Amino acid sequence: MVRVESPPTDREVRVTRALLTPLVLMAGATAAGTALVTEPARIPVVWCGAIATFVVCALTVVHNRRRHRALSAQRAHYEQRIAYLEARIAAYDTDTVRMAKELLPAAIRRLRIGNSPEEVMRDIVDADDSYRNLPKALRGLVFQILDIIDNEEAMRDSAQRAFVSVARRVQAIVHRQASELREMEDHHGRNPEVFDDLLRIDHGTALIGRLADSIAVLGGARPSRQWPKPVPLFSVLRGAMSRILEYQRVELHSIAKVAIVGTSVEPLIHACAELLDNATRYSPPQTRVHVTAVEVQTGIAIEIEDGGVSLSEEARARAENMLAQAQAGINMNDLGESPRLGMAVVGRISRMYQLQVSLRQSAYGGVRAVVIVPREMLTTGAAPGIAHGIGATSRPQSSLDMSQLQHVVPPPGKRRPKPVSTELPPSVAAGMPGYTEKPATPAVPASALEDEAPVVTEWTEGGLPQRRSRGRAPLGSHNLPRQAAQQPAVPAAGAQNGHDTGRGNGEPPPPGLWLEAFTQAVNGVPQEPKNDEDADGVWDKGDLK
Amino acid sequence: MSAPRRERRKADPARRDPERLYVITGDPDGERAALDLVTMVVSQAEPSPTVQPEQAAILRLCRAPLSVAEISAYLSLPFSVVTSLLTELLASEQIESRAPVVRATLPDRSLLEAVMHGLQKL
Repeated sequence: MVRVESPPTDREVRVTRALLTPLVLMAGATAAGTALVTEPARIPVVWCGAIATFVVCALTVVHNRRRHRALSAQRAHYEQRIAYLEARIAAYDTDTVRMAKELLPAAIRRLRIGNSPEEVMRDIVDADDSYRNLPKALRGLVFQILDIIDNEEAMRDSAQRAFVSVARRVQAIVHRQASELREMEDHHGRNPEVFDDLLRIDHGTALIGRLADSIAVLGGARPSRQWPKPVPLFSVLRGAMSRILEYQRVELHSIAKVAIVGTSVEPLIHACAELLDNATRYSPPQTRVHVTAVEVQTGIAIEIEDGGVSLSEEARARAENMLAQAQAGINMNDLGESPRLGMAVVGRISRMYQLQVSLRQSAYGGVRAVVIVPREMLTTGAAPGIAHGIGATSRPQSSLDMSQLQHVVPPPGKRRPKPVSTELPPSVAAGMPGYTEKPATPAVPASALEDEAPVVTEWTEGGLPQRRSRGRAPLGSHNLPRQAAQQPAVPAAGAQNGHDTGRGNGEPPPPGLWLEAFTQAVNGVPQEPKNDEDADGVWDKGDLK
Repeated sequence: MSAPRRERRKADPARRDPERLYVITGDPDGERAALDLVTMVVSQAEPSPTVQPEQAAILRLCRAPLSVAEISAYLSLPFSVVTSLLTELLASEQIESRAPVVRATLPDRSLLEAVMHGLQKL
């Protein structure tokens, strides 16, 4: 309250100034009175005037002093009030700043994870001592803001959900189409014209599928498709290839022999497909895109390198920026008028699945995209040898899954005698070279030769001749008892079989042998010439016809 | 879906693959060599590291002569895919193929006789 106390000089000056007017007036009046009255009355008039002047001055001083005291009290009061109001304004400012910087972000964060505005008010505002006494107006403001945000979020959510559900429907159709197409491809496999057309449709369907996947990913959903089992990386990359337009330009080089766990297969395929698409799209059509996958400390590094248009530093920065934006979770409207979805999709997938993606200048002048697949996505367990995965998993032939092929390949124990039984003993064969015979005449198997005519291949127990099966009867099932009896008699026949050259006797014969014998029997080819040099004998005979 | 559906081999959902067949086949307009289901194929070379996995598998399988039908069955790939793979291998002379032997057009006489004898014995 320093300001309430005025400096003393100031007060004196003011008192003097207040006194001056009445003093001068009274002095003037006294002087005038003195001048007007007669000589004898002058003295009393002067006295009266002096007394009156004194009284007026005294009254003025007293009045002035009182007024001054009241003024000071009032001023002090106002000063106090101003100070209080200023303090309040300052407090308000800090409150507002704190609300903007701490309260609202926290509240919005709570809102984003699914709380209602009421819950957020309860949890954030009321639970905190420093916010509990928030002014009512601010409270109302906060609530209003939260409510608006909640509504907007709900609208955006529903828009995205609509997006995603449309994409999901397209995906479902595409998946069904793809599996139907695969069935058709199997079905029409023998008709190359139809087959090639089917492949073209299949390719188009895959492109639609990728677009639907992209929409779903941009809508914030995870890829829908599930792969129940680990898939080899090679197949994954081929899957990525099969979803882009110019898959023929992609070359897979050394691909690390690892498998990707089922849950990570689809996102990886999609991310690689987008990067491959970028690589093929922004490079001249005659150049190739090279893909390698090598093991690194943190997992697998897939490098996609195109020998195309050089990416300027600025363009690279822009692409990386887009990637980073997508990783930070941008909005749809940042995609722009003519959306280049690729990088946004890759960014989102890489954020969802902790893939590291970077774009660099390639040594060829083009772009080198590197995807680091974290170790958690890899599995060391053997990937299942799926359809064309025989080569994809690079498994040796001997490890073919015989249990899966049992319907076509008889187990080794049964398979062994089969070529033996269809062979002629070497002595017979020597006397009767097959290529001199008339081709249409069926062979006379050794077992039949020993019998009397008629010549048949097999006999039933009832004495009826039995034709060799044309594929209906289980292969290797006919003639089994006889084979068992014959086997010791002609032990050398199997070894003489040209196809067994270079193979140990203990090893099972290669998978082709039994069916070769079968086709020859079906075609009515004499079966003896195999004991000549090797398969070439058969070939020559085939040529003769 | 009112059209009569042919019996098709249902794809096993657990054995689906991510890659589609056209990726394996390569150029869809490519010419195919004249190969039959029963054409025998034998490999002339060991698979080099640069060939496609499927072709490597064919080369391994065909160390002994194998019919195209068998290759198709072992690789679970349709016939047309196998032929286009084989066409490439033929062009690079890594395999050799032989024309299929002609199936006997007439029923063989000895068999008919055998049937006759059997019937007479009844």
